[in-house]
Amino acid sequence: MSIGARTYPAKTSIEVRSGGVATTLKRVLGPDWRMGFLFVLPIVVLVLALVAYPFCYAVYLSMTRKFVGMPAVFVGFENYVRLASDGFFRRAVWNSVIFTFGSVVFKLMLGMAMALVLTSNIRFRSVFTGILLVPWVAPTVVSALNFLWIYDGSLGVLNYLLVRVFHILPQGVGWLSEAGTAMASVIFVNIWRGFPFFGISFLAGMKAIPGELYEAASVDGANPLQRFCYVTLPSLRNIMIIVILLSTIWTFNDFGIVYILTKGGPGGATMVLPVFTYEMAFGAQRLGDAIAVALYMLPPLAIVIILLARYMRRGSAR
Amino acid sequence: MSKLALARLQTGFAYGVLSFLLVLVLFPFYWMTVTSFKTEDQMRSLVSMFWPSPFALENYVQLVTKTDFLAWFGNSAIVAISSTLVATAIGTLGAYALARLKFLGRAFMSSTVLITYLVPPSILFIPLYAQIRTFGLSDSLAGLIAAYPSFTVPFVTWLLMGYFESIPIELEEAAMIDGSTRFGAFRRIILPLSAPGVLAAALYAFTQAWNEFLYALVFITNVKLRTLPVGLSSFITGDVYGWGYLMAGAVLTTLPVIAVYIYLQKYMVEGLTAGSVKG
Repeated sequence: MSIGARTYPAKTSIEVRSGGVATTLKRVLGPDWRMGFLFVLPIVVLVLALVAYPFCYAVYLSMTRKFVGMPAVFVGFENYVRLASDGFFRRAVWNSVIFTFGSVVFKLMLGMAMALVLTSNIRFRSVFTGILLVPWVAPTVVSALNFLWIYDGSLGVLNYLLVRVFHILPQGVGWLSEAGTAMASVIFVNIWRGFPFFGISFLAGMKAIPGELYEAASVDGANPLQRFCYVTLPSLRNIMIIVILLSTIWTFNDFGIVYILTKGGPGGATMVLPVFTYEMAFGAQRLGDAIAVALYMLPPLAIVIILLARYMRRGSAR
Repeated sequence: MSKLALARLQTGFAYGVLSFLLVLVLFPFYWMTVTSFKTEDQMRSLVSMFWPSPFALENYVQLVTKTDFLAWFGNSAIVAISSTLVATAIGTLGAYALARLKFLGRAFMSSTVLITYLVPPSILFIPLYAQIRTFGLSDSLAGLIAAYPSFTVPFVTWLLMGYFESIPIELEEAAMIDGSTRFGAFRRIILPLSAPGVLAAALYAFTQAWNEFLYALVFITNVKLRTLPVGLSSFITGDVYGWGYLMAGAVLTTLPVIAVYIYLQKYMVEGLTAGSVKG
């Protein structure tokens, strides 16, 4: 049943008797329009003031040459055109794609492992579920700072473990200061923070799969792997799509982890678009360019958001 | 292989993966806590790596007496609590209207709420900063309190829409047949019934506001007005990091969120799946 098709209680006698203007208004604006408008008004104001207006202003600013504290000069699409051939910008786009793709793929795999473990025959499942969800609840900045310390080149515990305890490496690695390892290191932190969300969502989806499906598959001789491939995965299809798309948006726009760990360095090796935008705006003080960078992210983002909104609304209307 | 042996193997494998995930998840928190109780000397000499020796509270003392940590903690509390109250009030009313009432533009507003929830701060932060400046709210906690509802309200609304939709509509109909108004039914029937959901949404909004970094970094320049995430991260801009008191600050910043989480775990896990992600 769709939301709009829900039936509403019969009109009370008072409503029927009041005729004229009120009836017309009710017909046009809906039976509950007074309370509805009143209750939704704050959200409308909020969305207009904090999202819609700033957004339109952003589109305008992106077509100006604007420095902090100076009046804006309208330049049309100049910023966009210049950016398109800017090597730093192109590199940031590419880095963002790698960062997002690398993170989401591993979050998906670890999240699936987490959900499978938590639905298997182990003790204290709810306790472990709670513990495994903690990275997702803890402040991102705290997690990033933790890893900054863990990765530390000279006193960090990761090098200590690899060199002195397990003797895997002959000497320590500057995880965040070397171009070869910096990207993988920041991706790892994003995976660490984000995989529990995948896990908990898949877990909820798996719990909703009727047990009869598994029984029927077993009767037909399916082994555990086949049951996973032919029962679990297809049943999780919608949840997987939603979670992957949500995580893609969040990961693509993750600012805190990269900013704290590397600020985009070394030498731009981990410069992703949100950090690039920030540096452009508050480092180089070029607001027009910065917003043009942000708005370049919009078309792909809009596609993902619209797709996602359709899936999520379909889910809620079920 | 017999069925029993196979089942045992599976369970053993599950425990193996579980142990790996637990170590992965818990180690950074363990390391943060251990570091916060170590002395500077111990950290530099790499002795007794995995346990504080001697067990020292000096990092916490230094954090509280020599940095602005307490002021930041207060700022974070003010901002998170105020914006949570605003978001919960607005979101509860809006969610009820969007889930239950019939009026022109409802479907459009529902979509708008969802899309607003999905639009990321990295696109909005510069224009929002300009907006906050025109209101004269830059470099003030009021600016953050005004800006945070841009992400907490859509979230709370979306979460509670799902919650309200799950309450049987017959309850309200019965109340209205008995002579209650719509508003009366909302206040006396729906609100009390949905109190756990509203509380969960509120606490969720609280953790989001408490953890927020980008807006706080951009809007606030006065050191005394920083929130915890920005304040903590400002410790790393100096040459000497002072990992001890940084980790002590990290521990104290995490505690309120974890406390909220332990209290809410059941609701949060359900809320996550019932409201924000429905498949």
